[in-house]
Parts: sequence; structure tokens; C-alpha cells
Amino acid sequence: MYRVMLIDDEESARKLLRALINWESLNMEVVGEAASGIEAINVIDEFKPDIAFVDISMPFMNGIEFTELATKRYPNLVIIIMTAIDQFEYARKCVSLPVFEYMLKPMVRSEIYSSLVNVKSMLDERNKQESEQDMEQDLENRDETGESSIEQIKKYIETNYTDSKINLTSTAQNFGFSASYLSRKFKQETGKNFVEYLTECRMNAAMKLAQNNMKMFNASNEVGIPDPNYFGRCFKKFTGMSYSDYVLSKTKPDEVK
Amino acid sequence: MKTAVKKPRKKRSLAVKTRLFFIFTVLLLAGMILLSGFFVIRMERQEYVLNESKEILSVLSDNIYTNIQRYTELSRLIMTDSRVVSFLRADGSKVDQRLVDNARYGAVGVLNVTEMVDSVFIFRDDMRYTANKRSSYSLDFEKIESESWQNKIIEQKGKAIVSLNGNDAVFRIDGSPVISICRAIYDVDTQERTGILLMNFSTSMFEQRLEKINTPDICIMGTDGSFIAGNRKLKDYYDNDYDTGEYIYEIETVKNEDMLVSAVKIPDMPMVILSVSPIRRGIVPNMTIAVMVGVLMLVLGMVFVISSFITKNITTPLFEISTSIESNREKGVLEKVTVDVTNNEIGMLEDSYNNMVDHVNELFNKLLEKEQAIQKVEMRVLQEQIKPHFLYNSLETIGYLAMDAGAEKVHSALETLGSFYRIFLSKGSREIPLKNEITIIKDYLSLQKLRYGDIINDEYDIAENTKEWIIPKLILQPLVENSIYHGIRMKGEPGVIKISSHIEEDGLHIIVRDTGVGMSPEKIEEVLNTEKPQVTEDSERSFGLWGTIERIRYYCNRDDVVKIRSEEGEYTEIEFILPKKGKGDRNVQSYAD
Repeated sequence: MYRVMLIDDEESARKLLRALINWESLNMEVVGEAASGIEAINVIDEFKPDIAFVDISMPFMNGIEFTELATKRYPNLVIIIMTAIDQFEYARKCVSLPVFEYMLKPMVRSEIYSSLVNVKSMLDERNKQESEQDMEQDLENRDETGESSIEQIKKYIETNYTDSKINLTSTAQNFGFSASYLSRKFKQETGKNFVEYLTECRMNAAMKLAQNNMKMFNASNEVGIPDPNYFGRCFKKFTGMSYSDYVLSKTKPDEVK
Repeated sequence: MKTAVKKPRKKRSLAVKTRLFFIFTVLLLAGMILLSGFFVIRMERQEYVLNESKEILSVLSDNIYTNIQRYTELSRLIMTDSRVVSFLRADGSKVDQRLVDNARYGAVGVLNVTEMVDSVFIFRDDMRYTANKRSSYSLDFEKIESESWQNKIIEQKGKAIVSLNGNDAVFRIDGSPVISICRAIYDVDTQERTGILLMNFSTSMFEQRLEKINTPDICIMGTDGSFIAGNRKLKDYYDNDYDTGEYIYEIETVKNEDMLVSAVKIPDMPMVILSVSPIRRGIVPNMTIAVMVGVLMLVLGMVFVISSFITKNITTPLFEISTSIESNREKGVLEKVTVDVTNNEIGMLEDSYNNMVDHVNELFNKLLEKEQAIQKVEMRVLQEQIKPHFLYNSLETIGYLAMDAGAEKVHSALETLGSFYRIFLSKGSREIPLKNEITIIKDYLSLQKLRYGDIINDEYDIAENTKEWIIPKLILQPLVENSIYHGIRMKGEPGVIKISSHIEEDGLHIIVRDTGVGMSPEKIEEVLNTEKPQVTEDSERSFGLWGTIERIRYYCNRDDVVKIRSEEGEYTEIEFILPKKGKGDRNVQSYAD
């Protein structure tokens, strides 16, 4: 099963794409969605997609910026850009990226289907080659240096969480690990996911900012999640209440006093 | 617009007018000069002839007068000759033949001095006389003896009087007149009158004189009208008035010729010198004519110079400027006039015109820029209004809703609509491969079929080698639309739209055929006309179709690329050819690679 991720700010577009294609017949599975480039960066390590549909026009980090990051970090990721015709030429000019295909919006089932057939055959071919080469040389033999390096990584996260572009893979590349190794090791050492830890750092910082009555869109920027929608969701998940409620709850006692 | 452009006046008018004017002026001037010249010359001639004749006559008159005076002096010699004196003094009884002969000899000496003296008669008071003669004479004694005749001489108291034929008493036998000097003879000592001397000259004296002058215009006449010498033909001009005045002249016209008739009386003599000379024939006053001709030449020269000046500096430059301006109008491009004009008013005109051209071009460009800017803004506004993103996202949203609700058909219709608009609204390239245009048509027709159901059937016969031909975007769609709305739907029964394409020698042929109501020949003509059709209610079809045909023509840069075949009530078939050359060629090659 190939894993498919849909990155589009339009929920209906994501839903339509999900419903349009009989994914199973292509040996594919939609494993996740993201409503912005920012969200995608934060969740991509979780979904580990083989194929990503990326809409060009998205707020906070558009499809092109995301693609630039993603092609560096995930060289094997098959990226299919979705674009309306009025941005088609722009996309073509700006992106000299190894994008698999540019597809015109509004989407037409037959076009997407035939494109996915091509993707599938390419991935099938690639897998065959990889299994022949047997790339089982993991970096786990660095186990000895593990503990200290996790500490270092924690420190790295604590100082760099404001950078909206860091995620598991970028950190792993920074420290010379494979993403999967780091992920596993991090969980082992700290009992938390890398993303959980990163979000925790950001949310703690956000809570402090919220106590200072900072507006959410400013706070979201401050803590490295410049997409306030995604930030809001993260915040609610972390604290159990919405940012505005949290701000209210923290300011009311002061007023009572 | 066409009527507003007046046909330019004929180019030649100015030049011709100017030339005619100058020719007229020159002729008038020359005529006036010649006319006045004629009169002046005539007057000059008259005066000249007059002066000349006056001078000749007076000289002649003086001459004759002094001549006669000299002979008068000569006569005195005779009177003082001793033999003559003795003849005259002798008593009447003593006068004998010897005395007479002696006296005659005394007079002969004088006769010998000059040939002119034809005869000398010396009369005594008693009328006895002696005569020396070269010719034969007849004497009218009765007259000579008459008191009146003698008294005329005696009254002069010795002064000589000149008369003709001895005052009509002495005649030559041959009839030719003689000029006589008559005087009374007084004795030297006693101072008593002793006789009368008659000295006669022949006219040859005048003839000689006239011969010297060598002119046929003069004759000498006696005051009695008798001819004496010179041109005998002129004697008819004599008038009795002539012996009164000193110098008399009049102009007579004889045989259409102006004659100056002038006369002068020789003082103290009964003779008139008559001159009759034609004025025309008179010597041309060279100086005057030279001046006249000179003035004429000068005027003509000036006129020529002025006219050539005008031609060179006014007419020609104006003509060239006009031609240049005219060529501007024909070309439809405002260009500066470049005519080599000297720095004068016409140069100013040229400069002004060029400045105007600059100004107009500037205004034109400004207007154009403004227009383009407005167009751009309008385009943007239009695009903003269309907002493809919004449209596409809406289509996708509704599409999802439809799918979610199980309305697969609705979704597929929306998908087709999306696909259609994706290309239809694309601003990108103006030219697309034929296959893309066909896709548009298919989408379009499938949507139209949703609206009109089974009424439309579409067929395609697209040759494989035509699919990659690059054609102007959206040239088929309006034709298909036309087929539906003005062909098939008007008929009220199901129809077929068939699109076919193939390649021939002259390029790509695309045929749109519908089995609709067809078109009348007038309609076809109207649609194929290169002039924009009049917009009427009925002509909506013509206009849309005409616009598309114009686009194809414009794209091909030819007028003969569209054909319409139709049978009313049966079918309409629009065929157009996109020529191979140029863009077409390039495409064929690049796609063949």
C-alpha cells in the first residue's frame, strides 16, 4: 500500500479527492491531510507519505514553499502539484523542483486517475530496485552515543522551536540520524514523540504568551506555527481549551483580584 | 468615415493657374509694349521723316537761293561790261549790228563761266536787244513791251527778281522751263536806267543738285504749278498753298501708305521745293527700337525669372508637400514630410505641418496608451469578476456534495463544466493544438446535451495527423455554438454536428457541419462580407459568425480561407483552411520530430 497525503486548504477539495478515486484499486491509501504547508510540515513525519497532492495556493506557506522544503527532506516523496490555470505558468516558472506532475484544477477524475497509474508504476519499479539493493544499513550502530545526543536534540528543540520549518526529519538530518531511528530513539529516551515534544515546547511558550494577553495570530507566529488555524487546533488539543478561552481564563482571576 | 475624406483637388490646379496667369500677364505686357512701341515708333518715324525732309528742303532751298544769288552777282558783271554798256548808252539812231554784236560778245564771257546760264537777253529801253542763247527761244514781245511787265522789273530799282520764264515772256522752244533773273540796268555814271537784263537758267542746274542728294522724293515746282525739276510724278501733290508759308507739311495717305508731303518756298523766288516721302519707308529710328526691344526683353526676362522663381520656390515645393501629405493619407501612417525647401514661408508651412504630425502622433500615442491602460484595467476587472479560483473551488465543493449525496451524474456534469472553463478561461496562449480545441468542443457539447437532451448528436472525424496542428484558440467553439442556436435548435428536430479535419496541399481543413435549418445565400454573403454587417435583431447570427470568420481571416492574413455551403432546411457546412505556410509549417515540422 502506498501512502497518500493530501495538502490543500480547501476541505471540500480534500474530501472530493478522497472520494473521487478508488484508492484501493491502485494499491493506495489516503493516510492524512493537511490544511496548510505549516501543518503539513508538522504532521508529515507522522504520516510518512509516499505521494503528496499539494495545492499551490495555500495561506501561510504555499505549495511551492512547501515543495521546496519537502523535496530536500524527502527525496523519495512523489509530489503532485494541483494548480488552477491562472497560476500554472507561475508554478512552472518558479519551481525547478522534481515535481512528478502538475495537474489542473478543477480536478477531473480521469486525469487524476491516469496520473496515479503512472505514479504507481514508477513506485513499483523503484521498490523493486531498492529491495534488490537491500538498503538495510541502518544507523542504529550509533546506539552508544544515543543518550547524550537525545539530550542534545531536546536542547536543540527547546532553542529552535520558534523556527516553523523544523520537524523530525530536518532535525534528524541535522544530527546525522535517519528519521525513523531518531523517532524511535526519542520515544525510547523521553517517552514522548518528537512532534509531541516539539509541540509541548511551543504550547508552553504559547501559554505564557496567552497569559500576557497576546493575540492568537501573534502568538502562533512567535512559537513557530504561523498558521493560526493549525496552531489553534494544537493549542486546544494540548490545553483542552481554545486559545481565546484560555486567555479569558487567565485574565479573569486577575480582574477579580 | 469614408465620406469625410474629401477627394483632394487636382494637383495641377495651382501650377496651371499660375502658369496661365503668367502667360496672360506676359502676353498683355508684351502687347502693351508692342502697341505703345508701335505708336512711339510711328511718331518717331513721322518726326524723323519730317525733320529729315525739313532739313533737306531747307538745305536745298538755301542752296538754290545762294546759287541764284551768285548768278545775280554774275549778272552784274554783264551789266558792267564796257561793250554792253556802250550798247546800252548808244543813242537809238546809232545802234547798229556791230554794237549789238559787241554787246553779245560782252555777255558771252559770262556765259562761258557757267554752263547753267542758258541764255542772256539784254534789252534797251527802246526794246532793241541782244541775246546770247544756248537753245532756241521764243519771246513774247507784246508782253515784254507791255508796261506792266516792265514795271515789275523797274520797280525793283535794279534789284534782281527771279521768275519763271522771264515772268512768262521768254520760253524755250523745247518747252522746258527756265528760271530767269530780271533786273533793270542803270548806267554807272548817270545812274539812269538804260535797259533790262534777262538771264535764264535751264533746270539742269536743279537736276544736278537733286542728283547729288540722290533722292526720288523731291521735285521743284514753280509757284504756278509748273514742273521744274526732280521727280515729275510728285508734281500732282502740289498745292497752291505752298507758295505762302515758309515750311509746310501735311500727311497724306496714298494707297494705304502714309506720306509726308512737305514743301518750302525758296525765298524771293517763285519756286517751291516739294518733298513727298513715305513715313514707313523712312529710316527706322534704331535707337528707339533698340530701347523698346531692350525693355521688352527685360520685361520678358523678368517675367521668366519670376515665373521660374515661383515655380521653383512655391509651386514645386507646394506640390511636393501636397504629394507627401497625400501619400501619408494613403498609407494611413502619419509621417513627416521631407521636401527640400529653402528657408521661406513654404519651409515654414512644412515645419508647421511636421510639427502638427508630431503633435498628432504624440496625441495618438497618448490616446493609444490610455486606451491600452484602460483595456488592461478592464481586463483585470473582468478577470477579478470571473475569479477562476472561486469558481473552481465552488465547483469542487458542489462536486463533492453531489458525490456525497450519491448524485454521480451531477458530479460528472460539474467536472465537465470545470474542465471546459479551465481551458475556456485560460488566458495563457492564444493558440492551442487542435486536439485541445476538440476537447473544449466535446466538453461544451456534453454540457449542451445536458441542457437540450437528445436533440444534439456530435460526430468527429479528426485525422490523426491534424491533432497537433496549432490553431487559434476558440475558433471552433463559436461555430459549434452557432450550429446549435441558429441551426439545429431552429429546426425543432434532432440534428447532428459533425466536426472533421484533414490536411490538404493548401493546409489544414476544418469543417463544421450541422443538419440545421441552413442558411440563405444572402445570409452567407452577408456573413462572408469583409465589411461589418449592420446590427439588426435578425443579424445576431451573422454578427457572431462574422466575428469568428474575421478572426480566422485575421489569423491567416487572407480573406479567402472560409467557405460556407448550405442548403436551406438541410444543412450548413462551414469549412475553413489554415494555410500551411508560416506558423502552420513550423508546427508540422516540430510535431513531426
